Amino acid sequence: MPIAADYLRTVSLFQDLDHAGLSTLGGLLVPKKAPAGAVIFRESDESDALYLVEAGEVVISKHVQGPVDVVLITFGGGDFFGEMGLFDAAPRSATAQAKADSLLWRLDRKAFMHILSDHPEIAAKICYRLVSVFIERLRSTNEQAREAIRWGLEATGYSPAANRALFDRKST
Amino acid sequence: MSDQAKLQLLTRSHDDSGFEIFEVDSSQTYSGFKPQRSPATEWELRRQPLAVDGTRNFVLNNLRQDRYLLLNSKEHFLWEQFDGRNSLEEIARAFHLEHGAFDYSIIRELLAKLYHAGLIEGHRTLAPLSNFVTPKERSPAHRLGRMLDAWRHFALRTRDADRYCSTTYRRGGFVLFHPLTFWTVVGLAGVALAAAFQLAGHSMDFARLLSARPYMSTGVMLITLLAASMLHVLVHALACKAHGRRVREIGFFLLQGVLPTFYTDVTDIFMSNRRARLMVDLAGPMVEVLFGSLAMLSAYLSGPGIEQALLFGVGVLLWESALINLYPFSFLELDGYNILADLLAMPMLRKQALALIPNLTQRLRNIRTIQRAEMIQIAYLALCLISVIAYVVLHLDAISALLPFEWR
Repeated sequence: MPIAADYLRTVSLFQDLDHAGLSTLGGLLVPKKAPAGAVIFRESDESDALYLVEAGEVVISKHVQGPVDVVLITFGGGDFFGEMGLFDAAPRSATAQAKADSLLWRLDRKAFMHILSDHPEIAAKICYRLVSVFIERLRSTNEQAREAIRWGLEATGYSPAANRALFDRKST
Repeated sequence: MSDQAKLQLLTRSHDDSGFEIFEVDSSQTYSGFKPQRSPATEWELRRQPLAVDGTRNFVLNNLRQDRYLLLNSKEHFLWEQFDGRNSLEEIARAFHLEHGAFDYSIIRELLAKLYHAGLIEGHRTLAPLSNFVTPKERSPAHRLGRMLDAWRHFALRTRDADRYCSTTYRRGGFVLFHPLTFWTVVGLAGVALAAAFQLAGHSMDFARLLSARPYMSTGVMLITLLAASMLHVLVHALACKAHGRRVREIGFFLLQGVLPTFYTDVTDIFMSNRRARLMVDLAGPMVEVLFGSLAMLSAYLSGPGIEQALLFGVGVLLWESALINLYPFSFLELDGYNILADLLAMPMLRKQALALIPNLTQRLRNIRTIQRAEMIQIAYLALCLISVIAYVVLHLDAISALLPFEWR
């Protein structure tokens, strides 16, 4: 199934690529259908590819305890995920699961390495976009961490109003 | 059980000049935590009289750090459980059995209060020093809020007040609290009142004489008020000593962030009984009654002239000052308010009443669900509002004289 160039242009990661660049890249992408509920990869799986979402929704979550995961983010059409897999062979840091029937495109690490060696100008443009996305997602993760901690503190001992709770009687 | 989660928290000092880092245990560790109150030698707990709404408060004093907490009966129940043997989970269960319902926030808020008051052992993550600093909190509005807060809490004080007051009390101050002194003042006030009625017919002459010398009249009145206010506060403090309790401080501050005045911190009188508190409350205004009566009698015995007018004016001023002080419904925590709060055994009446205001219309719409305590708070608010309006209406002439234009 050939990938539509129109779709690739909507992916922020590739927005700096020209027609030739998109054609080169399109030839390296592999389609993957994920019905609702299907696990695309699990946390701690081998990490070896990036995924583009053409249609549907994918939930990224991280295991907390027992059957409970915390949802990190939900991706839809035009988004991508698993970008760490392009550079890092370490196990997956989160689980990706289709929330609705989804059509995905997979870019393997090997294919990306091929772009890096044979088409460095395309690789540079992709990498520049990837860095921007990393930064944005890192900010979002910091914000999530802060909210999670605030939530935990409020549920336990946190009470900034405590220092206003002292009692006194001032006669005038 | 898996390893307990821990977080490192950085908390900033109130003025943002420094910070501290400490660890927070997981909620699992928290629920297994066994709160241990400080040793019994380090605190004092005093049961307060039953309030008119049927509730009972307790005052807890950290003797080591000189900090006081007001506990309601539920918090007192929890305090009794904090013996180091019961975990928070067990305490929560006991609380549920005792009170039939349970809101976990009661425990965490009490623990934070106790930690801040230095009355709970260890577990210093219970009450972080300050809130997270978020962009919102650094906004101009937040800074303005901090400035207003600093303004409200402005005070000049002496921490050595207890030593001065003890010495003054021993060296003759005790005489003030002899019953004979009280009845002498009452007798004197009665005679002075009769003299004031005699002089009342000349009040317009006195007003003319005083307005002919405005600077002198104003100066004498201001000095009189200042001196009376200082003595008033000192007598409150001595009354506290008369009951063997500690005077925490004497100073000058803005009452409720508005009214500049002298004050004495007599919180320790809550470790005594209600009668003692009422005596402390009443002792201050007796200064104005005594000196106002003396001024009035001196005016009566003086010949016509500016001296008589000044003495009459000082007498009226001091008596009015005593009345304002003793009037409970002014939105301010003056002596009259303290007397009312002590009689009702509702020491937080004003704060609770003011806290009702944002939801007052909603509460009044569901009037059947209003509880007795809320009725009292609403009545307090209503009487304060009526009193302030009446005071302004009765003093319209004086207010209009201060305005730079003709208003009617």
